[in-house]
Amino acid sequence: MRINRRDFLKTTALTSLYFAGFGTPTLANKGTKKNLVVIMLRGGMDGLCAIPIKGDKNFEKLRSKINLDRTLKLTSDFDLHPALETFKKLWDQNQGAAVHATNIPYTGRSHFDGQNLMESGGKIPYQVKTGWLGRGMKSAGLTGKGLALALPMPLLIRGVPMNNNYYPVGDRLPSKETMSIIEQAFKDHDEKLLSENLKIVMTRDLKNQGNRENWSLASNAGEQLSKPNGPRVAVFEVDGFDTHAAQGATNGAHADCLNDYDRIVKGLYQSMSKKAFDNTLIVTLTEFGRTIKQNSSNGTEHGYGSAVFLAGGLVKKAQIHTDWPGLKRKELFEGRDLNSTIDSRSIYASAMSTVFDVDFKKITKEVFWGENLQNLSNKLFKT
Amino acid sequence: MKNFFRKVAYGIGPNEDIPSDPLKWALDQLDEVPDLSWQGKIYTEKELRGHYRDYVYNDRKKLRKKYKNNKTLYKTHKDILRHNTGQKFWESLEISIRHNEGINSNSPVLAKLWMFWGNFFAISDKDFLANYSTGPYHREIIRPNLNQTFEKMVYDVTTSWAMIHHLDNSESAGPNSLTAGQDWRIEKKKPASINENHARELLELHTVSPKAGYTQEDVIQLAYIMTGWQQRWSKKKLETGNVWFNSEYHQPGKKNVLGKEYKKGKKTLAVVIKDLVNHPNCRDFVAERLCRYLINDEPTKEMKQPIIDAFKKSDGHLTEIHKAAIKVAFNYNNKFKKFQTPENWFIQAAKIGDLKWPPPVDLMDSYTLGDKPVRQQRYPERVLRNIGHHPYRAKQPNGWSDHSDDWMSPELLIRRLVYADRSYDFLKSGNDNKEFYEKIINNNFDKPDKLKDYLFKNMVYRSSERNVLLFNHPEFLKA
Repeated sequence: MRINRRDFLKTTALTSLYFAGFGTPTLANKGTKKNLVVIMLRGGMDGLCAIPIKGDKNFEKLRSKINLDRTLKLTSDFDLHPALETFKKLWDQNQGAAVHATNIPYTGRSHFDGQNLMESGGKIPYQVKTGWLGRGMKSAGLTGKGLALALPMPLLIRGVPMNNNYYPVGDRLPSKETMSIIEQAFKDHDEKLLSENLKIVMTRDLKNQGNRENWSLASNAGEQLSKPNGPRVAVFEVDGFDTHAAQGATNGAHADCLNDYDRIVKGLYQSMSKKAFDNTLIVTLTEFGRTIKQNSSNGTEHGYGSAVFLAGGLVKKAQIHTDWPGLKRKELFEGRDLNSTIDSRSIYASAMSTVFDVDFKKITKEVFWGENLQNLSNKLFKT
Repeated sequence: MKNFFRKVAYGIGPNEDIPSDPLKWALDQLDEVPDLSWQGKIYTEKELRGHYRDYVYNDRKKLRKKYKNNKTLYKTHKDILRHNTGQKFWESLEISIRHNEGINSNSPVLAKLWMFWGNFFAISDKDFLANYSTGPYHREIIRPNLNQTFEKMVYDVTTSWAMIHHLDNSESAGPNSLTAGQDWRIEKKKPASINENHARELLELHTVSPKAGYTQEDVIQLAYIMTGWQQRWSKKKLETGNVWFNSEYHQPGKKNVLGKEYKKGKKTLAVVIKDLVNHPNCRDFVAERLCRYLINDEPTKEMKQPIIDAFKKSDGHLTEIHKAAIKVAFNYNNKFKKFQTPENWFIQAAKIGDLKWPPPVDLMDSYTLGDKPVRQQRYPERVLRNIGHHPYRAKQPNGWSDHSDDWMSPELLIRRLVYADRSYDFLKSGNDNKEFYEKIINNNFDKPDKLKDYLFKNMVYRSSERNVLLFNHPEFLKA
C-alpha cells in the first residue's frame, strides 16, 4: 500500500484553504454550449471491482474468487477493470478521471431508499419529489434542455419543465390533427404534465424507429447534444449492478454492467462533434458500493463507499481524486465496507456549477438546501 | 361514480349490465378464489420449471461443451433448444391467462388485486425467470392466497422456488453451519457465508419496510434464520428441485431480530414471519401500498386507518383487508382519480372496447413444443414490454411503481397513442360504428354526452384514430 492517507488530507486541506477566498468559479467559456451527462448505475456499483487498489494483500485475499486476472493501468495505486476500454482511452487523453471512496451520505444499504436519495439528493427517502439535476437545471434556467434516454422520466431530472426522453417505440404516431384534439382535451382538464409531454411529442425532431440498447441511445443523444440548440443535459440508466451471486471478475455480471457504461461513453464520444465532446462532462451515480469481502456465492453484499467516473473534455486531468480511507478492518465502514470520505454530492454540485456556469454557492443553496458541500470544481473540472 | 368500475377493476364491457350496487358488486368478488377463467391449457409451475432446467442448467450446458469450437452450430442448436423448451411462448400464455381474469372472469376486482400482490411480491427480470417461472408463480403462489392470511402469503412467497432463486437464498450458508466445515469448502477455498439479499427484501419489501428502523445486524440475523432454505439439488433436477430446508446450511444458535430472540431450526422462519407481519409498520405499509395502487399517490392516515384496523381485527386475513381497501376506494371515488398504469390501462381498453384480447384460446392451444411461436402467439409479451410495464420483467425486486409521475414521460405517452391506434386492429366486426362507441361510453362514464361530442364532433383521418381519442382522453387515463 503506497498510498498515505495523511498526505492526501494535507493536500486536500491546503487546496481547500487556497480556494476558499475565491468564492465563485471563473466563468470562462461563457457562450460555449456545455453539456452534462449523468449515467446512473443501479444496483450498487462495486467501486473496488471497477477501480481496484494495487498491492493490498488483504484485499486480494478477501476477494480470492472475484479478483481481476487482468487490469488496465491507471496510477501507481489504482488499476482499472478491463471492461472499461473507452474510459481508459479517454484517461490517456486526460479526458477521464475518477473520484474514489465516495458516495451519497446514505448508509442504510437499501437499493430503493438509496436510489431515491441518489436521485433526489436528499436525506430522507421519498420525501423530495424532484431530482438534484432537475433542480440544478431550474436554478440555471435550463428549461426544455433535458433528455433522458429511458422510457420513464427519472426522478433525477424532474423539477424543471419540458424535459424530453427518448426510447424509440418502433411504430408510427397518430396524425398531428388527432393529437391536437387530445391536446385540447388535456388543456380542458387542466392536465399540466400530460399537456407538456404531448407538446414535446408533437414538436420534437426524433425518429421513432431505432435500437433501444444503451450504446445506440448514446449515439442518438450524442447527435442531439452536439446541436447548438439541442439538449444540454442527458441521463442514462444501467441496471444490474446488484451482484449478490456470481459477480464474476474480468468477465461476468459486474463486468457486463461496467461495459454497458463504457459503451455509453463510447457512443457519446463517437457521435459527438469534437467541439461538443470537449465541452461535455459525463459523470456516474450509484446508490452504494459493495462489501470488501466476497460471499460464498462469489458475489458481494450491499456496502457504502464506491467510485464516481468522470469523462469528457471538461475533465481537468487524468487522476484518481481520493481521500483514501484504507481497507484495514478498523478503517472500513462498520467493519465491512469501503468508507466514503467524500460526499459525492460535492462532485455533482461542482459539476453543475461548472457546466451550467452557476455559482457554486447558488447551487448548494438552491439544489442541496444549503448543505455544507465542498467545491471541487477547480480540482476536477476545467473551469 | 362509473369510474369506480375502472378504479377497482377494468370497467364494464359492452355486453355487461351495469351493477346497481357497485360496492356490493365489488365486495362480493372477494370471498372466494374461483378457478381461472382461461379455458385453454394451463401448465403447472413444476412442469415449466422442468423446461427451465433443460434450458438453463442441463441441455444448454451440454451444447456449450459440445460446440465449444463452433459458435454458429452452438447458436443454431441453442435456438432449437429454446423452442424445445417453449422459451418464447410461456410468457405470452401467462399474460393471456392473467388478462383474461381481468376481462372475461366474474371476478375482475379480485383480478386487479391479484395483479397488485404479484407486484408487491415482485419477481423482477432475472435470468430466465420471466420466460418460465414468474407467470406460474403468480398463479400458484400468489393467487390461491388471495383469501388466506397475509402471513401465509408471505410464508408461501418466501419459500417459493421462484423467490428463493430470485433473491439468491440457496447460496446463503451459515458461517458456523455443518457445511462450513466440510472439506470441499476448504479445498475449493469457498468458506461459508450468508447472502443477505433475500433477508433484506423480506424486511424491506415484503413486510415491515425500512420505516420499521431495522439495522444491518437485524438483516444479518434474519439471513441466519433463513440459511438452509434452498432449492433441493439432485442429479436429475439440478438447481430446479423443490425448496426445502437443508439443515447442513443452517446457522446454529440463537438469533435476534428487531429485539426478539429466535431459536435455531426449520420452524423459526414461520415464527419470525408471524412476528414481522404483526409489526405495526407492516400493517401500515400494506395499507399504504393498497391505497396508492387504488386511490392516490400520497395516501393519508385517514385513508389507511380502516385497512390497518381490518388487518388487525382479522389477524391479517386478506379477504377482510381487501374489503376494507375497496370500501375506502369507494368512499374516495369522487375525490381522487388515479392515473392508471400502462398495463391497467391496456386491460381496460381491451375490456371496455370489447377487443379481441387476449389472443383466443385455440390460437394459444395450437402451440406445439419445439415450434417457434407465431407472431400472434408472442404478441402479449411484446406489447407489454413495449409499453414499459411487463408484469414479469420489473427492473428491480421492488416491482413497478404505483406513483403516477413514474408513468408520465413523452415516450410513455407515445406508447399510449400508438397502442390505442393499434387497438383498432383488434376491434370485433360489427363494433366499428357510432352506436357501439356510444354504448361503451354510456356504460363507463358519468357524463357521456361530452365524451361523445369529443369523439364524434371532431374529424379523424383514419377510423383507428377514434380509439386514439377515446383511450387517451383524460377521463379514460384516470379512474
